[in-house]
Amino acid sequence: MGHKYDWASIPSYIPKVMKAFPLTIEILLLSLLFSLIIGALVAVGALSKNKVAGAVAKGWISFMRGIPTLVLIFLLYLGLPQLMNALGVNMSGISKTTYIVACLALSTSANMAEMMRAAYLSVNKGQREAAYSVGMKPFTAFRRIVFPQALGVAIPTLGNNIIMLFKETSLAFTIGVIDILGRARSLSSASYGTNRLEIYIATGLIFWAVCFILEKLTKLVEKMYTKGRKQAAS
Amino acid sequence: MIINFRFIAESIPKLLGAIPITLLMAFASAVIGWLLGLGIALIRKNKVPVLSQIFAVYVSFLRGVPMIILLYISYYALPNIIYSYGVSIGREINVDAVPAVAYAIIALVLEQSAYASEIFRSSLAAVDEGQMEAAYSVGMTKTQALARIVLPQAMTIALPNLSGLFLGLVKGTSLAYYVGVYEITATANLLAMPALNFIEAYIMTTIIYELISFIFNKIFRAVENNLKKFRAVAA
Repeated sequence: MGHKYDWASIPSYIPKVMKAFPLTIEILLLSLLFSLIIGALVAVGALSKNKVAGAVAKGWISFMRGIPTLVLIFLLYLGLPQLMNALGVNMSGISKTTYIVACLALSTSANMAEMMRAAYLSVNKGQREAAYSVGMKPFTAFRRIVFPQALGVAIPTLGNNIIMLFKETSLAFTIGVIDILGRARSLSSASYGTNRLEIYIATGLIFWAVCFILEKLTKLVEKMYTKGRKQAAS
Repeated sequence: MIINFRFIAESIPKLLGAIPITLLMAFASAVIGWLLGLGIALIRKNKVPVLSQIFAVYVSFLRGVPMIILLYISYYALPNIIYSYGVSIGREINVDAVPAVAYAIIALVLEQSAYASEIFRSSLAAVDEGQMEAAYSVGMTKTQALARIVLPQAMTIALPNLSGLFLGLVKGTSLAYYVGVYEITATANLLAMPALNFIEAYIMTTIIYELISFIFNKIFRAVENNLKKFRAVAA
């Protein structure tokens, strides 16, 4: 005890940890893409008049909101291969990064679905009716009239969801993926943990900086996108 | 046999026994964190010089850093800080006696205070200015107006977001595993390890978390409905 910290060394760890940044970004972008796809399917289910689809979508959203991402990771990474093995399917060829992308995409899909549903419902019904009345088909009306307005409503939430997702990529280390936190941990164990606090603070600063940039970007995109557009009535 | 039912029967009591520590972390962090959050929101709303700038950075930092890193920082930095403080007042404090759950709660409190302060800030802003003026006009002091008129309305507006924050907090406690707290997730892992009963352990864990979320969701909904009486005025 009475350990002395070397605060001045914190900046020197940032470039070392940043070496794993491309992997973190890869995980972020892939899970973002898949969460949007799954989220769109779930949102369509939640909005449809079909009762079964509605119930499945609602069940999906509440299940994914109830389970901690860490437990989902353990369930899929440690549990699922055992189950599949017993059924004669070998899952050992799947990379750890794939598991992380799958888990993050699944857990974020619920938030994405809720975001899309709320944005869709915020667009005035009359907009769609007006599009039909000038002879547009339902899909054209959605693509050209409803979607552009819903997107404007969804941008702030989307930005927030991306920030949350980015922070959740930090869980990749739990199954041994060397993302930025994984790299921070291996740097700290390489020096027997003597500089671990300095390394974690450096990693925290990286996350903070990226979140800050993402937040500013969201504001910028929102401003550019909604400029000159009539706000969708909520 | 794919699923080992004997393992399930034997581990259920142990997993259920870990629920209190998860709930303790969640409740303690919510109560302390939200009170701090309210204080921060009031400081920032009233634009108290210096403090409001400090808290702007505080909130931004805590919202930008993942929980797991906050846990590590709290776990590795605090024992030293406590020890050094002990030395400065001339006492040798045995920091090993401080349970890991205390560090986890501190990290969770910090995070909760940041998120809650943003929720309170926007809900305070959502209460009409006229409400405060009306309270002044009938002779209330600022504290009275805040406590009796503005806060009840702001709380009602904040509640749906607070319920989301709390459910996220319950899920976040699962990370305390990494600083050595034997809450639900850690217990499941510990039980599963010897015979590699992962699928059973994590299915049970999932069910427990889903039930906890479900119950708290119902409770918050009931409270929201109950508080609607304040809302009618606020609208």
